[in-house]
Amino acid sequence: MSNYVIKRLLQMIPILFVITFLSFGMMRLAGSDAVLAQMQNTGVVMSKEVIENARAELGLDKPFLTQYFIWLINILHGDMGVSYISNKEVFPTFISKLPATLLLTALSIGLTVIVSIPLGILSAVKQNRFTDYFIRFCSFIGNSVPNFFAALLLMYFFSIRLNIFPVISRDITLKNAVLPAITLSIAMSAKYMRQVRATVLDELSKDYVVGARARGVKFSVTLTKSVLKSSFVTLITLMTLSIGSLLGGTAIVESIFMWDGVGKLAVDAINMRDYPIIQAYVMWMAIIYVCVNLITDLSYHLLDPRIRIGGDKK
Amino acid sequence: MRKTNILCLIVSLFIAMAVITGCSSGNSESKTTNTGSSEYSGTTFVLGDTTFNAENGEPDINPHNSYSGWACIRYGVGETLFRYSDTMEIEPWLATDYELVDELTWKIILRDNVAFSSGRNLDGQAVKECLEHLVENHDRARGDLMIDTITAEGQTVTIKTTEPKATLLNYLSDPYGCIIDMEAGITEDGIVCGTGPYIAESLETDEEVNLVKNENYWNGEPGFDNINVITITDGDTLTMALQSGEIDAAYGMPYASYPLFENEDYTFSSCATSRAFFAAMNYESEIIKDQAVRKAIAMGIDKEGFVNRLLDGNGYPAVGVYPDTFSFGGDAVTDETYNPEEAMALLEEAGWTDSDGDGIREKNGQKLTIRWCTYPSRQELPLLAEAVQATLGNIGIEVVINCTADIANVVSDKSAWDVYASAMVTAPTGDPEYFFTTHCLDSSVANDGSYHSDKLETLASELAGTFDADRRGEIAVEMQQTILDDDAYVFCSHLKMSMISKSTITGLSAHPCDFYEITAELAPAK
Repeated sequence: MSNYVIKRLLQMIPILFVITFLSFGMMRLAGSDAVLAQMQNTGVVMSKEVIENARAELGLDKPFLTQYFIWLINILHGDMGVSYISNKEVFPTFISKLPATLLLTALSIGLTVIVSIPLGILSAVKQNRFTDYFIRFCSFIGNSVPNFFAALLLMYFFSIRLNIFPVISRDITLKNAVLPAITLSIAMSAKYMRQVRATVLDELSKDYVVGARARGVKFSVTLTKSVLKSSFVTLITLMTLSIGSLLGGTAIVESIFMWDGVGKLAVDAINMRDYPIIQAYVMWMAIIYVCVNLITDLSYHLLDPRIRIGGDKK
Repeated sequence: MRKTNILCLIVSLFIAMAVITGCSSGNSESKTTNTGSSEYSGTTFVLGDTTFNAENGEPDINPHNSYSGWACIRYGVGETLFRYSDTMEIEPWLATDYELVDELTWKIILRDNVAFSSGRNLDGQAVKECLEHLVENHDRARGDLMIDTITAEGQTVTIKTTEPKATLLNYLSDPYGCIIDMEAGITEDGIVCGTGPYIAESLETDEEVNLVKNENYWNGEPGFDNINVITITDGDTLTMALQSGEIDAAYGMPYASYPLFENEDYTFSSCATSRAFFAAMNYESEIIKDQAVRKAIAMGIDKEGFVNRLLDGNGYPAVGVYPDTFSFGGDAVTDETYNPEEAMALLEEAGWTDSDGDGIREKNGQKLTIRWCTYPSRQELPLLAEAVQATLGNIGIEVVINCTADIANVVSDKSAWDVYASAMVTAPTGDPEYFFTTHCLDSSVANDGSYHSDKLETLASELAGTFDADRRGEIAVEMQQTILDDDAYVFCSHLKMSMISKSTITGLSAHPCDFYEITAELAPAK
């Protein structure tokens, strides 16, 4: 197993190289740069000399490939550079945003699991009855409501009307994370409820469930010991993909709740063409997805030993 | 069993990491951050502001860094030698008087009994150190001020410029001109010691700045003991934060939220600023070279309708470059008024007729189609484009909109557009010269439409050499009228800047130049 893990981690190197090169190129193709973006924001015209000086200071006057290789050499020396906009070191800036993102990811995934798995199972077990219809209706609503709208509704009721949670959730505390986490888990729970229902229904229709019933095994035992265990492989795939995207941040929810995570940092950086921050974010996302996929593959094997890691036949 | 343990371990580690990092971060922040007033002793004012962030060039309050001077002066930390009155005229602030010794030499007399928050007295030497550091570190200031030498003697500072600089006092009143104590220095966070009514205690870029009352302020007693300025970039969050009472006042509230606060619990303070939404004609475009087309565009834009309907009254229809808060602005000049009938007659006369009946005029087989380019980062600009598309469509001009964030590249290609609509602060220093030198002259960096006028070039030279403020105003009127008569620019509206505060607060007033926000007058209502 350790060889497999090392091999997968080594595969990350060419992935990082290609992805950072592509993102670097695409941001140049998108046009504008940090100097012009800031001029547009402030609404004050700078002289040609000031613009050229600012560009030269940031190295934006150099050819594209030179800029990329300078960045690459610096990163190989452990230097992620300095933000073009805030003039602060990229690495500590990025690291300072991670606790918020990690906490929000853990809470929203936890909430999603707590809500979607029991309700999804209940919906499958009570197929085509009122409970099933009600849960599916809720799931439909949850899927249809955009995140920003759910966030504003929650804020209106819980912050303005009931005054339970603050509107401004800048401090990274569990209390402040509640509303953003609920916002994110509404859409995810709605989606997973249907997935859990479909997976459980699929398992329930299999011969071994009918056989277990015929042998007089309690339905609850079949459900918890066999059906759920088999369903988990599908669910874990979905969950890990969600964890990947959540760890990439959720810019809209972060902006509305002023939750200081990496998503908002990335979107702001893209708007302002802050290349060092964008590159750090792209690297983070690539590492996240490689690691999350690796953990998913390992967990498949743990849940179902018939699934061999890396196609290992031994 | 072993495999289950590994799985449990992975999950536990992940959750523990999230919770531990979350909690630890919360602990460190709680030392400095609180949106309510419970952590402060005495009275506290909390301001939600959309502009205090690095994207806006304000990562801190160091006036010698980018546009951070705006935060320094707005939040009552720094003050300049001269300032703008409500009618945008220069008046003394930290200085009491000045003398123009010759065209290159300015003698400025400083106020007595003013001290920095560090305790050091304000004198000529302190001003000299500050201005020298400014021009050494701030490209824009160096180019504006053109300082050759500074000499200090007691409460007098003598500034010699490298060339005649009629607008020196205006530039010294720019936020970058806040006088700070260089002996006390600039902290890593960008905190400086000024002479203003409040002292910055802590600052976090893109997050907040915490201020305390300057007990030794020279110009009255500040009204609050503590001030917390919070960066809130999302308009809905700003709205709800004011509704929930987490902030006491808001700057940059979205127009759509205004009705929520139009009641006795809140106070609005509004005024016109020199941020103008205007269209520049591209003189390298064949269609635009036709003055009848330019005039018809100017006559075909319904400025009143745009401001009253699309902006819901949150703007002022513009006539010329400057709003009427300036002595040389507003109705001091005349422009084409909205007159679709006359515009149509003008186009007919110039040979632009709709021969195929499709609603768009043609001339020599060429359709009268205008490529209108603009950008989306100012919410008013896409709305203006749509309004123009509708009203010019009514007179037979087809408007094709290109609203792109990559505006610099589009505009640099002169064959790609006919009209460029943008939003710019036309008089950031209160003086008229800036707009013309940046936008309308052969040497202007933002003369995107390659406009040229011999008359304007002559007037610009005269303006540059004129030191008398009244005469400068007269020349500014003439210059505006020149570009309006040429239909080279159409000024559509001026931004209405509003601040909304709880009715329990007094002294928060909007100012035409947008520099002065938190002052000693800001206080709890009695």
